[in-house]
Amino acid sequence: MMAMTQLQSGDRAKIVDLSRVSELVRRRLLDMGVTEGVEVCLKCTMPLGGPFMIESCGQCLGIRRSEAMRIQVERV
Amino acid sequence: MMQIALVGNPNTGKTSLFNQLTGTYEYVGNWSGVTVEKKVGLLRNKQGALIDLPGIYSLNPLSRDESVVTHFLLSEPFEGILNIVDASQLERNLLLTVQLLEFGKPLAIALNMTDVAERRGIFVNEKRLAEKLGVPVVPIVARTGKGCEQLNEQTFAFLQQKITPLQLFYGNVIEKGIERFILLVGDKVDETIPKRWLALQFYEGNRYVHDYLKQRVDAEKLHSLYTEVENELQKQEGVSLAQWIYDQRREYVRDLILHVVERKNVGQVPLTERIDAIVTHKYLGIPLFLLSMYLLFQLTFDWLGAPLSDALDAFFAGPLTDWITAGLAAIGASEFIRSLVVDGIIAGVGGVLVFVPQIFILFFFISFLEDSGYMARVALVMDRLMEAVGLNGKAFIPLVIGFGCNVPGVMAARTIEQPRERLLTMLLTPLMSCSARLPVYALFVGAFFAKHQALVVLSLYVLGVVVALLLAKLFSTTILKNESSVFVVELPPYRMPQWQALWRSTWDKGKGFIRKAGTFIFGGSVAIWLLSYVGPHGVNVEMDESFLAMIGGILAPILVPLGFGTWQAGAALLTGFLAKEVVVSTMNIIYHVPDVESLQGLMVSHFTPLSAFSFMVFVLLYIPCLATVATIRKESGSRKWTLFSMGYAFIVAYLLSFIIYQGGRMLGF
Ligand SMILES: Nc1nc2c(ncn2[C@@H]2O[C@H](COP(=O)(O)OP(=O)(O)O)[C@@H](O)[C@H]2O)c(=O)[nH]1
Repeated sequence: MMAMTQLQSGDRAKIVDLSRVSELVRRRLLDMGVTEGVEVCLKCTMPLGGPFMIESCGQCLGIRRSEAMRIQVERV
Repeated sequence: MMQIALVGNPNTGKTSLFNQLTGTYEYVGNWSGVTVEKKVGLLRNKQGALIDLPGIYSLNPLSRDESVVTHFLLSEPFEGILNIVDASQLERNLLLTVQLLEFGKPLAIALNMTDVAERRGIFVNEKRLAEKLGVPVVPIVARTGKGCEQLNEQTFAFLQQKITPLQLFYGNVIEKGIERFILLVGDKVDETIPKRWLALQFYEGNRYVHDYLKQRVDAEKLHSLYTEVENELQKQEGVSLAQWIYDQRREYVRDLILHVVERKNVGQVPLTERIDAIVTHKYLGIPLFLLSMYLLFQLTFDWLGAPLSDALDAFFAGPLTDWITAGLAAIGASEFIRSLVVDGIIAGVGGVLVFVPQIFILFFFISFLEDSGYMARVALVMDRLMEAVGLNGKAFIPLVIGFGCNVPGVMAARTIEQPRERLLTMLLTPLMSCSARLPVYALFVGAFFAKHQALVVLSLYVLGVVVALLLAKLFSTTILKNESSVFVVELPPYRMPQWQALWRSTWDKGKGFIRKAGTFIFGGSVAIWLLSYVGPHGVNVEMDESFLAMIGGILAPILVPLGFGTWQAGAALLTGFLAKEVVVSTMNIIYHVPDVESLQGLMVSHFTPLSAFSFMVFVLLYIPCLATVATIRKESGSRKWTLFSMGYAFIVAYLLSFIIYQGGRMLGF
């Protein structure tokens, strides 16, 4: 288990724990179908500590690095 | 008339379908904040009205535009729901469908994006889906109109059917909770709202439903029921209510998908990913965005817009004025009428209309950015910068839309979830240089900076953005402290915008400008001309003796340190509050010239390049126009913040113009 920020661009991983993510972000992720057990792919990261672009089920979304740090994943 | 609500996730083609079914003009965009207003269109078969609601992921709202839908379900009369479902994103779309089916109104599903789904190897068996859910399902491609004919025919058949609300089994704890809830609310809520649905929304933590219930049922009892059920579930299952309910629905949806979807392998990288590899590239992203903005301005002002505007101007000043003068002479109009029409109306309204080509080109490109899906990437790319000033990347979209017109810009701030960030964005959007300010710049750069037109105009746009960012930092660390800012953005796949849709949304945005020319600017021109025609000593006075000169003269002394302390500038700025273009109309009337070219010639004796630049900066910042002020008032719901938005703008404008003019003089310009 590790934080999403430890992934490299192009890595695929399974989400293990979202409990430390802030409430609002968790709800939004849920809305887009990203929850525990879902497989995601880290597409790219923006420079200077900018947001992360992740893909899940053919759909892309962007979240902040600070939130990604709180998402626990498992490499697949 | 039958009322049908169109409900679905954002970016599923809702707006396109609305246009297909109603044939009315509608604004199509890819940014989820575009359809923020409730819009109603008459169905093509004239049998009912279709109500377009904002795109939502769930009935439990997070942002203001999302709460519109819950409000609608709870308190507006309607006969049925048309649920648009993106076939390429079935799971997340059907989660919403489940909540709608639980509501129990007649419902039909428009299964959209079937072409996209098939390209990705997803084949939905619509017959089986319809059977499983017990509602009609029509596969369509809203973009091309395929299947919409059939949908239109079926739309009415389904309304006649009675459907029983979908009932999922949510486990013993929740089911018992639902029973207790129903006992508690009794008959205190509206008959038309199914209590089971209400109970589920209540346990899910739908804030809007909670507020609704609190007005009708003892808040204390509600609260204790909620916590009891929550604790019980926590004890038995170890998860929160919202999570549990979500999980049950998802399980149902997943099972459903297994039965109705067939997957085939198609091994090709979608175009979107290839484009994203470039535009959201780590280092290329921001430079590419700036480059596209630069190209946009070059096209709008230099390459395409300027020649068109020049041609139009020549036409107004030459043939049109001649024809009208001749016509008025032929019908024997008096000198007063001739002067009113030629010096007042043609000068005032024509002076603004000549910029129509440039404004349409600008709106066209903004529509293109929205429709293509690039806007959401801009939010992503700019988030780091926005975070540094206490906002989030989504706030960048209202700012970019603000370049077209501040009014939709302020409204687009509704997609921002946090109230403080939203307010801050609304306060700062008016600093974006909207297209109405363009005629003012065009006039001045043409006269004073002919060689570097695009560059000088671009510098004003950049200035607006920079001032907005600095103030964001200032406000977010002082008066509008943010607890914590959040940012999650959906990045829809790229889609080549359709010409038809592009032209429609360009026209929709641009027509407001033309309408304004016919109303506000027309009226303003007549009023200004009258004020300039009469004075304390009678009518047809010298311009310097007119009422207009007196009014402008009051302001003039304040403006002296900024380099344009004339009554003419004072009068133009005062009237500019109506609409920024009126500054140009006023100048045209005051300086009493037939066309933009000779006005520019005249202005050289009243302004220096430095004071002209100082004037443009002042016009950029000094106050949001009347329509924007009204919108801020409506959106913020606060008089205090509305006054603040006017006050700070004036102070900032004054300071900046002062620094530019005095500083420039010291440097010897
Ligand atoms: N390929 C394809 N594109 C579609 C379809 N329906 C809509 N679009 C495109 O999807 C984009 C977003 O559509 P829009 O109607 O603005 O969606 P809304 O955000 O839900 O209102 C536009 O570029 C449409 O042209 C469809 O069935 N197939």
